[in-house]
Amino acid sequence: MDIEQKQAELIDHFVKKASALKGTILDPVIIEATSHPSLFAFSEILAVPSVVELGGTENSGYLDVLRLFAHGTWTDYKNNAGCLPELIPDQVLKLKQLTVLTLAETNKVLPYDQLMQELDVTNVRELEDFLINECMYAGIVRGKLDQLRRCFEVQFAAGRDLRPGQLGNMLQTLSNWLATSENLLVSIQEKIKWADTMSELDKKHRKDVEDRVEDVKKSLSLKKLHTVSRPTLTSEGTRRSTLSLVE
Amino acid sequence: MASSSSSGLTFKLHPLVIVNISDHCTRVKSQMNPPVTSAANTTSNNTNGAGDGVVTAVSAAIPPPRVYGCVIGVQRGRTVEIFNSFELLYDPIAHSLDRAFLEKKQELYKKVFPHFYILGWYSTGSDAEESDMHIHKGLMDINESPVYVLLNPSINPAQKDPPVNIYESELHVIDGIPQLIFVSSSYTIETVEAERISVDHVAHLKPSDGGSAATQLAAHLTGMHSAIKMLNNRVRVLHHYLVAMQKGEFACENSLLRQVSSLLRRLPAIESEKFQDDFLMEYNDTLLITYLAMFTNCSSTMNELVDKFNTAYDRHSRRGGRTAFM
Repeated sequence: MDIEQKQAELIDHFVKKASALKGTILDPVIIEATSHPSLFAFSEILAVPSVVELGGTENSGYLDVLRLFAHGTWTDYKNNAGCLPELIPDQVLKLKQLTVLTLAETNKVLPYDQLMQELDVTNVRELEDFLINECMYAGIVRGKLDQLRRCFEVQFAAGRDLRPGQLGNMLQTLSNWLATSENLLVSIQEKIKWADTMSELDKKHRKDVEDRVEDVKKSLSLKKLHTVSRPTLTSEGTRRSTLSLVE
Repeated sequence: MASSSSSGLTFKLHPLVIVNISDHCTRVKSQMNPPVTSAANTTSNNTNGAGDGVVTAVSAAIPPPRVYGCVIGVQRGRTVEIFNSFELLYDPIAHSLDRAFLEKKQELYKKVFPHFYILGWYSTGSDAEESDMHIHKGLMDINESPVYVLLNPSINPAQKDPPVNIYESELHVIDGIPQLIFVSSSYTIETVEAERISVDHVAHLKPSDGGSAATQLAAHLTGMHSAIKMLNNRVRVLHHYLVAMQKGEFACENSLLRQVSSLLRRLPAIESEKFQDDFLMEYNDTLLITYLAMFTNCSSTMNELVDKFNTAYDRHSRRGGRTAFM
């Protein structure tokens, strides 16, 4: 997928930068990473040891910010605004984009009202602009905007970083998918067999009928020699009537 | 006689060439069959698994008739791409191919395809032979290293690869004498979009009489079945990979996990109410139409039956009593 490809270089770059530095100097790196317009994946940076170390120190605020960007939404930030450092506008924008991704995780159809509430946007026009410019053109979301029913149908959404428990869910979904497709395969095969058997039966039936017609014809042509006046018409008539009865 | 190639050339073969060669072979074989009915039995005996490789091409008892021709294409650097082929007559006396015809054909092809050169020649059979070397050397003045494409016309149902071999000639020192021997090389099949469409069309041959409804249905369902089977295989691979990752056999690769999660979020693919409505409506429409067609059939058969009955039994009472049966 293209987003992953676009991000791969950025991720490498930031990981290298982060592993080279330690302590408070990491803060500007984190800020840069979280405000970069094309970067949506943060688990790799979270995994860098010097970043993890930040958690212990008094500067763990930035680590929390990073974690928020990896797994959280705009609502989470508002709720915890007290203990987290201020976000610059770029970061705010990024967080809102990530929020859209999270919402797309659970539902395929997102009503405008819910989106407006989650993103702190008051009118539909602004919401649509945000969705079109920031989300669709960035390539993280693909979908259709339905103005009449005031909802956003998501067809594709890029993946966010995985929470630890999500792997199990994904495995469950995958195995369900597999089971369904296998059932489908079995039923298709049964249908194919059914179609073949039915056509066999049909052919057999047709053959049987034709055989009977042949037999009757033969027996009649024998009888034909014995009939009296108006031979042709009588035997023809009886033959035709017998034929129609047989059919 | 054939070992693996070391010249480093990569070969790309277009399916048109394979189709041409097999067409040529089939045509010649079927043209020969009616006049040579006694030899047809020996032909079929020899076609089946000439495993010993000693096909008596020299003898008068005709084995599967060998056909010969020329292959043309483009050579760019180390890549040899074989696009097309045409047929040539083989002169058994001179053990060479018809030169004049070759040159005339080459000129004609040059006018249409200016970039194509004669890259080599082709023949049918199960293995390359000594006599082929003469022909090969004969072509060496046109192209200093011609390729020899060999098609094996015997059908081996267990074989998965196409029975085509490409040989190059290499100078090897055998018993102190430098000799040219055939060396087989690997090739890939390369298709252009138009070729892919036609090959696909041939592969899915419908029964020529249009088939009954059952065979068409079976063909359509088989297509769907294979498509879903492929999807199933791929998803299973993903599943195994994720299970292994969960157990810890692989390090967690986040970008992959993200892609998988975004993929899974696209399921269920279609679930909206509108889809259900449309789907059921179409389903009901189809059922109704089938029902209606069945009705029409039944009523027309009934009508015929009644007509026959009338014609048969109403002969005596021509008093206008026909209305009684209608």
